[in-house]
Amino acid sequence: MQRIRIIGVIVVLALVTAACGGGDETPGDTPTPTGATGSGGLSDFGESIDADPALVEKALGPVEPSDEESWNIILASIARADQDLDQATIDKAMECWSNQECDTGTGGETVMGYADGGGDTVNVWRAVSHMEAILQALTYDEIGAIVSTEANFGGPTFDPTIAENDMRFLISRGVDFIVGYPDIGIGLREEVLEAEAAGIPYIPFSAGYVGLPGQEGALVPGEDYLTVVGENLCDLGDSFADVLNSGVGTGEVALLGGTPNNALSLGWQQCAVSGFADGIDLVNPPANENTTTGDTSWFPPAIPAVFQGLLTTNPEIKGWAYEYADGMNIGLQTYADLGIPVENLTVALRTDEQNLFCDWAERDEPTYHIWYSAGGNFQSRVGVTAAMLSLKGAEIPAELVVPHVMREVTEADCDPARVNEAVSGTSLVPDEVLQLMFAG
Amino acid sequence: MVTTTTKAPSTALTSFVVASRYMPVYIALVLLVIVAFLWAPATLSSVALRAVAPYGAVLGITALGQMLVIMTGGIDLSVPGTMSLAAVIMVGVGDGSNERIAIAIVTALVAAAIVGLVNGILIGGLKLNALIITLAVGLIVNGVVNRYGSTFPVQSPVPPGMSDWTSTRILGVSPIFWIGVGLTVVLIVGLRYAAIGRRFQAVGANPVASHVVGVRVTSNQILVYVVAAVFYAIAGVALAGLIRTPGVAVGSQYLLGPIAAVVIGGASLTGGLASPLSTFAAAFFLTGLNQMLRTMGLPTALQFVVFGVVIIGGMLVSGDRIVRGVEQVIRERKRDRSQTPALLGSAEERAWKEEGM
Repeated sequence: MQRIRIIGVIVVLALVTAACGGGDETPGDTPTPTGATGSGGLSDFGESIDADPALVEKALGPVEPSDEESWNIILASIARADQDLDQATIDKAMECWSNQECDTGTGGETVMGYADGGGDTVNVWRAVSHMEAILQALTYDEIGAIVSTEANFGGPTFDPTIAENDMRFLISRGVDFIVGYPDIGIGLREEVLEAEAAGIPYIPFSAGYVGLPGQEGALVPGEDYLTVVGENLCDLGDSFADVLNSGVGTGEVALLGGTPNNALSLGWQQCAVSGFADGIDLVNPPANENTTTGDTSWFPPAIPAVFQGLLTTNPEIKGWAYEYADGMNIGLQTYADLGIPVENLTVALRTDEQNLFCDWAERDEPTYHIWYSAGGNFQSRVGVTAAMLSLKGAEIPAELVVPHVMREVTEADCDPARVNEAVSGTSLVPDEVLQLMFAG
Repeated sequence: MVTTTTKAPSTALTSFVVASRYMPVYIALVLLVIVAFLWAPATLSSVALRAVAPYGAVLGITALGQMLVIMTGGIDLSVPGTMSLAAVIMVGVGDGSNERIAIAIVTALVAAAIVGLVNGILIGGLKLNALIITLAVGLIVNGVVNRYGSTFPVQSPVPPGMSDWTSTRILGVSPIFWIGVGLTVVLIVGLRYAAIGRRFQAVGANPVASHVVGVRVTSNQILVYVVAAVFYAIAGVALAGLIRTPGVAVGSQYLLGPIAAVVIGGASLTGGLASPLSTFAAAFFLTGLNQMLRTMGLPTALQFVVFGVVIIGGMLVSGDRIVRGVEQVIRERKRDRSQTPALLGSAEERAWKEEGM
């Protein structure tokens, strides 16, 4: 009996020691937020970095991890990207995607806000990114409602106050965090500060800085707003320059961008320009360090005119650098209109909409090369996970750096079975959902 | 209201005064060609001009519709919405099938006509402010377009036959250009020789006098918005074929452009005379200007500034101002010669003529 009591006391002591986690803590202390420094830290907040390697490669390609904090949050995000969804989840996702507000049905008290400066009807990329964020939100029982806004660039007048008012609407709606893409960039400054002052973290993705670091008036991620998710823009610009330096060698190249002076385009264009080799002749250099060039607004109807403007005076352009593969595909129509053959051409892209790749395969032109990075749709998922971690007390780095790698297009990048050709191959939205989104 | 003259001491002088209001656009075109020759000569190549032609024609067709409205003293800000409506109908009703192109076009034109009818009834019938009403109707139409556009996948294409057709060439130029030319000719003939065209002008120049002489002012004011909306729809259908995946905001760039083309083309914003040919030419001037600014590599912000300055310049040398200036010069010269009263339209002048002096 005496032995049993001793063994029992030892067992109890062992259990107490295990529960308290070692000598640094006294029993009863709650764990101090340790930041996203490792699996132990994230698991304290209910996250796992046990992401499917195949999904990681699908979303990012064969990248090297970025800094540990960023990488762990990225892994934690992808770990939630279940590709085998039940019908109820699919139906709920479609409901939330199709309506401004939806009840997730979990009874959770957290409300997610989503603010897009464009919108689902502007282009496929935005529609998919929106769905990525919704699917991510549906993996959190804490999130009880999703509220989405889309500014559509302010309609016919391209009015930035629409995007500003959308933010104010979300603030007044009482959302707990806002994920989005700030097309008007620094123009959203006051509303982002209002949100943060109201205790609502703002997390832009796709390198949607609210003003590029160094720009006058720019907000500082990590200080003025929670964080920004995206690639290192200078590295991305350097990658584009490397592709064109080796692919073109000597000749004319052109840069294209999105909405005028948006942070994403501004960031990579600055570094691309400085990274070009001596033999590269940039036909449309930015006017100064604070302006973008080749602005297309990523808006399909506006793209042909930009290509026309450049190709009419520079039909010998041998290289393009642009974020948007689908936009490049639209621009190829101008080649046909102007009677310029698509040959001796190198293209460096960020996104990977398949319609361009399938067109490339069909052309079968050995002197036409396309290099791409990744669509980045899934980055909205990272924003959602970062927000939820933050709400639970985790420290989030000021920039969640998404690594990138440039890959050359092959025939395997054209999947004839893809529901919609204009969807990125790197998107993590399951095919069943894409079918409902785009098959009509 | 400024009333343009129809009475002059000689037909030649009258013709000169009337024609002078349309001169600025041709002078502007010549200046544009000179500037392009100096700074962006590639924009004058046949290849470049052929590429720009369909887009110039799209703006031209919308401007012709806007011209009709402005001739009656109105204005129409529902152009972007109506164009976008026509474009998404081509996608939605067309449903990717060449067999459905015809029904899609008819549907687009009918839908646009309904939009025009609403505008016309509210403005011509109820005498509400055209600027406010058309802006409001345009917003409603935009909402309808967004709602309708969400019923099919974003970036859905028009039927392939439609986009293939816009890529064809007639005498080396897009068929859309020839449609624009055709509509211009139709309007020239209609406004000059058809009763309905002259009624449009009369209603715009002086609705009270028109009513007195038996013109159904209200009916004409309603009808003009319907006809204009059909023009916008034609442009929207053409643009959808050009863009291939038009989207719900394809018409968003056509709010100010058509109005600018009408003003630069010499029409008076207060109503009355207008020239389809000058308006169509002004549309090409604006399209060519846009193209040249892009080709010169101007930042987007500066392009907007230059575009706005040109429009203001067009207003400063608008047809009304030209005519008033010419009248003033002629009047002063006559006064200097004979101390006679004003040249045009005064009772004193008529008395002077009756005395045979």
